[in-house]
Amino acid sequence: MHRLKVHKVIFHTAELFELQLERADLSFEPGNCLALFNDAAESRPYSISSGVAEKVLRFLIRFVPHGEVSSWLAKRQPGDEVQVSEPFGWFRPGQAEPEEDSVFIATGTGIAPFLSYLRSEPQRQPLACLYGVSLAKEAFALKKLRMLPNFQLAVSRKTTDNHFHGRVTGLLAQLPLGPQIHYYLCGLDAMIDEVSEWLEHHNIDYTQIHREVFFYADETR
Amino acid sequence: MPTKHADNWLVTSKNEKRGYIQPQLLHELWFHTSTSCNLRCPFCLEGSKPGDDRLQFLTLEDAKPFIDEAVELGVNKFSFTGGEPFVNPHFSEILDYALNFKLCLVLTNATEPLMNQFARVKEFNSKPQPVHFRISLDHPDPTKHDKSRGKGNFKKALDTLGRLYHEEFGVSIARLMLSGEDSAAVDRAYAPFFRQAGVPLDITIIKFPEFHKPGSLPDVPEITEDCMTRYLSASQRDGFMCNYSKMIVKQNGKCGVYACTLVDDDSDYNLGATLKQAMNERVMLKHHRCYSCFAFGASCSEGACEDTKEEGQASA
Repeated sequence: MHRLKVHKVIFHTAELFELQLERADLSFEPGNCLALFNDAAESRPYSISSGVAEKVLRFLIRFVPHGEVSSWLAKRQPGDEVQVSEPFGWFRPGQAEPEEDSVFIATGTGIAPFLSYLRSEPQRQPLACLYGVSLAKEAFALKKLRMLPNFQLAVSRKTTDNHFHGRVTGLLAQLPLGPQIHYYLCGLDAMIDEVSEWLEHHNIDYTQIHREVFFYADETR
Repeated sequence: MPTKHADNWLVTSKNEKRGYIQPQLLHELWFHTSTSCNLRCPFCLEGSKPGDDRLQFLTLEDAKPFIDEAVELGVNKFSFTGGEPFVNPHFSEILDYALNFKLCLVLTNATEPLMNQFARVKEFNSKPQPVHFRISLDHPDPTKHDKSRGKGNFKKALDTLGRLYHEEFGVSIARLMLSGEDSAAVDRAYAPFFRQAGVPLDITIIKFPEFHKPGSLPDVPEITEDCMTRYLSASQRDGFMCNYSKMIVKQNGKCGVYACTLVDDDSDYNLGATLKQAMNERVMLKHHRCYSCFAFGASCSEGACEDTKEEGQASA
């Protein structure tokens, strides 16, 4: 376990914030999580969204009003300390074999592990990246994501001029498909289930699909 | 006896001689891969959860000497539990090494950590020894399972069970045993799910009673020497896991050999740094979970260990 100092808490919307912790000497791989603890020793896992060479560790967090951990983290001030676990994880976006390509699909704060990968200055960019949010203002790091070759933002609640209106699963027909492509899915379970089934239905092998499920409603997983 | 133990190691709270098991052989060696898990189940006997490090990630460097020593001692099987073994980044290489020597059993929740490594898992089919997966399906009711394990996890585990069987791995399931249940009826209730997964209806179902969280002290009867001889036969005493198995645990950066899979929260059960040393240690039935073995015949193993049936007199 480590105790890291809070660098900043930046509210992105009323319900979403980025927690930045001073990194100290922690090393990690894109896709890793840390368990973050509150002062009652309750913890929740959050994916790191910063690059492996950045001086701060960033986390994209949905504020759950009665959530034991997110509501405590949201009130931290610069210089406060937060207890964290060692980095861990089972999701490695973009780490397919050298001859293989990748596709990223995220909803909400599920974009975090993909941002970590992209901010780690990888040699290979994904072939495509689909990102689903409820409202356009909830999207993180759009400037960075728009630089990707095939990036699309899906906004489900309100029509916008610049983005696809609907759920991210409405964009699946545009995905490149093939046996040399690995598909990395991160976000809510409903999206992951639907995309996984769609991919298998389109003859993508189970071993080419990689999943990371986020839960928000009651902060359990 | 070593003097490292607590005062109540040898006698009960009523100052009666405790029941014990004198281990006879090493049939099965367990490895605790760590208490880190992708899930956070309220009933978990290990208190496992994401990022937990009460028991730390075992590495191949840690496990290899014990695998080699166990082979030398004539072990028949290696088994792995957690936490979720596939959360440990070193687990695949440990399993890969162990499969050079003996059959392996892996206890898993069969969700994302295993699903995301399915390509690697398939490669284990080409190893010299087989691997068998035991998947947790707590209840024959997805809603009840998911209430503790998280939404959608029954479906994932069932799906993975079917995929593993389809790849010709051995499979079984573990479930919770509730007090007063009609066990045969509960087992039968899994049939439609097994059909859905495409696995045989008669796969092994291992049942576990409530074990309570690490460090808890539930009020259970203490086991005396008299209990062990009055109520149990020699062959029943031989069936205690501590008679024929041990578990390797890494805590505070060091590995130790524990008496069985259920007592890693009590350092009295750390029996030594090597298997040979640990096999000489008498195991006193002090832990509250020892009562589960006494009363219910609880065992984490699959298939009875037959090797000790001839000589079961060294325990009381």
